[in-house]
Order: sequence, then structure tokens, then C-alpha cells
Amino acid sequence: MTAQPGDADIGWQRPSHLLLRARRIQTALVTLPVALVGGIIAGAAGSTGLGLGIGLGLVVVGLLCERFLARRVAAWGYAERRQDLMVKRGVMIRRQSVIPYGRMQFIDVTAGPVERSLGLATVRMHTAAAASDARIPGLDKVDAAKLRDQLASLGEAQAAGL
Amino acid sequence: MTAPPPPHPAPAPAGDMTAWHRLHPLSPLIRTGRHLMALGVLVLLLIFANHSGNNDDFISDIVVVGIVLVAGVISWLVTRWQVADGVLRIETGLIRRQSLRFPLSQVQAIDVVQTGLARVFGLAELRLRMAGADSSGGRLACLPLADAERLRTQLLAMGHAAASPVAAGGASAGAAAPSAGGPAGSAGGAAPPAVAAAPPRPERVLFRVQSERLAGAIILSRSGAYAGAVIAVVIVVIALTGRPGVIVPFLVFGFGVVASVWRRFNTEYGTVVAEAPDGLRLRSGLVQTVAETIRPGRVQAVRIVEPLFWRAFGWCRLEVDVAGPRQRRENRSEGQRLRALIPVGSRADAEQMLGELLTTPPRPTHPAPASARVKTPLSYHYLAWAGDDRYVVASRGRICRKTTWVPLEKVQSIRWVQGPWQRRLGLATVRLDVAGRRVTASIQDRSVAEADELLGRLPDLARAARSRGLVS
Repeated sequence: MTAQPGDADIGWQRPSHLLLRARRIQTALVTLPVALVGGIIAGAAGSTGLGLGIGLGLVVVGLLCERFLARRVAAWGYAERRQDLMVKRGVMIRRQSVIPYGRMQFIDVTAGPVERSLGLATVRMHTAAAASDARIPGLDKVDAAKLRDQLASLGEAQAAGL
Repeated sequence: MTAPPPPHPAPAPAGDMTAWHRLHPLSPLIRTGRHLMALGVLVLLLIFANHSGNNDDFISDIVVVGIVLVAGVISWLVTRWQVADGVLRIETGLIRRQSLRFPLSQVQAIDVVQTGLARVFGLAELRLRMAGADSSGGRLACLPLADAERLRTQLLAMGHAAASPVAAGGASAGAAAPSAGGPAGSAGGAAPPAVAAAPPRPERVLFRVQSERLAGAIILSRSGAYAGAVIAVVIVVIALTGRPGVIVPFLVFGFGVVASVWRRFNTEYGTVVAEAPDGLRLRSGLVQTVAETIRPGRVQAVRIVEPLFWRAFGWCRLEVDVAGPRQRRENRSEGQRLRALIPVGSRADAEQMLGELLTTPPRPTHPAPASARVKTPLSYHYLAWAGDDRYVVASRGRICRKTTWVPLEKVQSIRWVQGPWQRRLGLATVRLDVAGRRVTASIQDRSVAEADELLGRLPDLARAARSRGLVS
């Protein structure tokens, strides 16, 4: 097998296109209150101009973060291979994990409020090693449930002891 | 593995294991002993610090001690345990009632721990280590030492019986069988199953630590250096100011550093590793003694550490990782390190132990590509790896060389990581995770082509090793 990271011969699947929107909303939900509070504190401590400046500055920081979101979201990918699951992610630090189905201890499906409102969910696989990290965010809710069941049955079929 | 014991209605003492048991009545005293001692030291320090001798403080301390003791007695009253159907059950808790079940086939290791106070009374604590990464294992504190050791042998034997499918049918019988060999011993002589064999079995001693070497090694280690620095600073400050009182506020800090050195010496003193039929036996400790049994095939990783100063003497340290958390509330710093089979030993000792743990382990022979020198100039000289169809070994470290062996059949997941620097230099790192939380074999800074090839090849090798392991 010549599986090369980023190769075309692995059928990479992508998270839902709604993930970008979810990430944007999450960024906005963090940025706006922070900018508001920061602006108010600065305004109360200094002058109104300073408060406005700092508030706007924090908003700009949030917008800058937004610029990177698209690339980060696009970097996510997963592939169900015959014996294992591959997950890749990251732009600055690129990571790629291989988790044999037989090693899965349990599977989580979680959905935060933002994800839920868009009908998304995150699937996360746990192995006995604390360092393994395999999660696939932003799957459509139905897909996530399907993936979970599929992984669970594959894991059961190939389960190996410690 | 054992002939099914005859359906013995098992008279009176057979209830020995399956009935509910209490812990030893002195256990509250021993469990709280450490806190009481700490409290006593604190009180003495306070009295020493403000000579006025504030009575209110003293009374409140007495009250605290009383509450701690009463809580201990209550927790003893409501705690009981039982072994039935290959499961150890512990029930505890007054307000929040807990019923814990530990399937013996899942047990990774069982330790017998004796704190200093427990040794005075001849008691011991039994600790079960399970595989889960964050669930806490079972603790039975305290039992009389002889009972604890017998129980450990029995539990391990029952775990084996339950784990091997052939004897699965005998598992429940095995639960009742050892009880026949229990305290009332000869009563069960009619059915002498292998599981009830007497604890002292032939052992082959593999390693015994030399005390003076251990002391020297700890002094030359990092914590020893810290302690030395702290003591030196204290002496200098006292010499310069001439008033010992100046250092009182920093005493706690200094005490902590010295205590960590002492704790390390205490836990690693007199380490003896022996090979027994039920696994590797590991005994160590000066005041608090620990006896562990590591079952065969449960070793997840082996690591040899060679710190800078130790290398001058040709010393090294060999550690193993066993699945599951090392949760020791009262002994944190010990818990964070791996179990050291060889706290300090010569290179030859380590090689011999390595040969016992792994069959024909490979050597890290492939050095990292030259371009890695730019990214990691300080550790480049130690970056190397090697692998065959059973093991992967990787070494790394700046001045302290760490070499980690991981059996491929234990690999949980494989990760390929590339940071921005590495991308520019055309490098990538491949990590192999095993169960447990501290050890990861990191094949660091390989060329991208090699890392990609590894990521493609290692999962298949690991799978092959796993299926081989299942067959044998």
C-alpha cells in the first residue's frame, strides 16, 4: 500500500460545507462580547475615543481570525479505509492520524449549540491511548449517526485486546 | 488450565471469598496516618514559629484531627468487599453510596503497598490497576499483609482463568475454589486446584538495585540538583544575613524540593525485579514498600533514559509503561513517572532486562536526515529510529537520551505531524501511541517521503503483529 498524505488514491471525505458557517458564528460569538466588554472597560477607564478604538481593534482581530477559518475548515478530511480510519487536519501544523477500527474503545457524537442549530455534529473516536486524537467536526447529523454506527460495528468486528 | 474442581458444597470457610468482608479495623488510622503526621509537623512548626503558643490554633487543629479520624472510621464502617464470579466488588460511601465492580480478567496489574505506618502494624493495601485511561482502579486498604499477598495471587490466577477462553467455564468455579485454600487451609485439601497454589513460588531475580549507586544517581539527577541548589542558597543566605529567621517563609518551598528527592529514594530503594510464573514481580521501597506484579504481555512500552551526568558513569534507567492510570493520590510525583524496573543500573543491566522484556529488540540505527540538523541542532545527534515486524524503536533528546521501544501489536494509533518549520525543510514526524498516557514513540524529523512511507506501512505491520499476537 502506498498511502501518501494528501494523495488522491485515498477517498478523502470532507465535513459539511456548513462547518465554515458554524465556525464563523462561533468566532463572532466570542469576538463581539469580548470587543464590547473591552471597549466599555477602556471607555470607562480612559476616554470614549479610547473605548471605541479598543472595541474596534478587537473586532478587527476577530475578522483576521475569520480569514484563516476557511483554510482550516478546508483542511479537515477523513477516509474510511478497509482496516482503519484516517483523519487529517491543520494548516500551520498538519496532522494525519491512522486509527485501526479494532483499537476503538468508544465513540462520541457531540453537538454544541451552534452546531446543533445548523444540524451538525462532531464524531470523536477514543482509543486506550490518551494521545490519539481523532475527531471529525461538522458532519451532517444524519451522516454523523451513520458514521458512528458504521465505526461501532467495524470496531466490534475487529476488536483487539490491549 | 485447571481440572474443574469437584462440585464441592464447600463447608463453612468456603464463604471466605464470596461473602462480604470488611477491611482491617486499624485501616482508618493508617489511611489518615499520613495526613495526621503532616498536621502534627505543621502544628509543631507553628508553635516553633510564634513562640507565644497560640492556644486557639492548637484546639482547632485537634478538632480537625478528630474530624479526620471520625470520617475515617465511618468510611471503614460502610466499606465492604467480595469476590464472586470472577468479579471483585467493593461497596463504599455513606452519603454517596458506591458499588464498584472490577472484572478480574481486565486487571492489568495488582500492587501490594505498605506505607511506613502500615508496616508497623503488619498491614498492607491492595491496589488493582485497570486498563481505562481515566477510571480509578480498586483499592483495598488495609488488609493484613499475609491476606493481601494471598488475595493478590488468587485474584491474578482467577484473572488468568477468566481471560483464557478455555478456562472460561471454570471461572466461576475458580472463584469458589481458591477459598478452599484460604485461611482454614487444609479443609479444602480435597480439591487442590492450581489457582490456589501457595504464594511463594520459584522466582528468578533479574535485577537488584545497588543502594549507593541509587543515592549517587539521585544526587546527580535533576531533582537532586534542585535540592542541592536550594540547600546551598539557604546556607548562603543564613551566612550572609546571620539571621536564620529570614528563610522561614521559603521553608515550605525548600521542604517540597527535599521531600521530592526523599520520596524518590524511598520508592526506588531496594528495587528487586524477579520473574515469576504470573509475571514480573517488582518490589521496592524503604519506608513504604510496594510489591507489584506486571502480567506478561501487558507491557505497552519500554524506555531507556540516559541523563547527561549518568552517562559519565555508564548508568541508565529502564522504565516500562503498563496500561492504565497510575493514580496515587498520596504519591503524586511518583505517579507521574513511569514504573522504573531499573531505577539506575549499568548499560549491561538494561540490555539484559530489555532482552527479558522483548525478544530481539532492534537498535535505533537510522539517523535523521541532515536537514533535520537545521531544525533541531541540539537533539539532532540522538534522533534515530529502527523497526522490524515486531517493534519500533525511536530515540531522541537533547542532553538526556531517551530510547523508546514499542511493540507493534500494542500500537493504538499512528499520527503523522508536520509543523511549519518541518514543512520548509521537507521533514515530518511519525508518532506511535500506545495505551497509557505518557509514552509515545516519536520517529522525529524524517524526510517527508520516508514519513509518508511509514504512515502507509506501519498500520499494516501493526495489524499483522496484532493478529499474530491473537493466534499465539
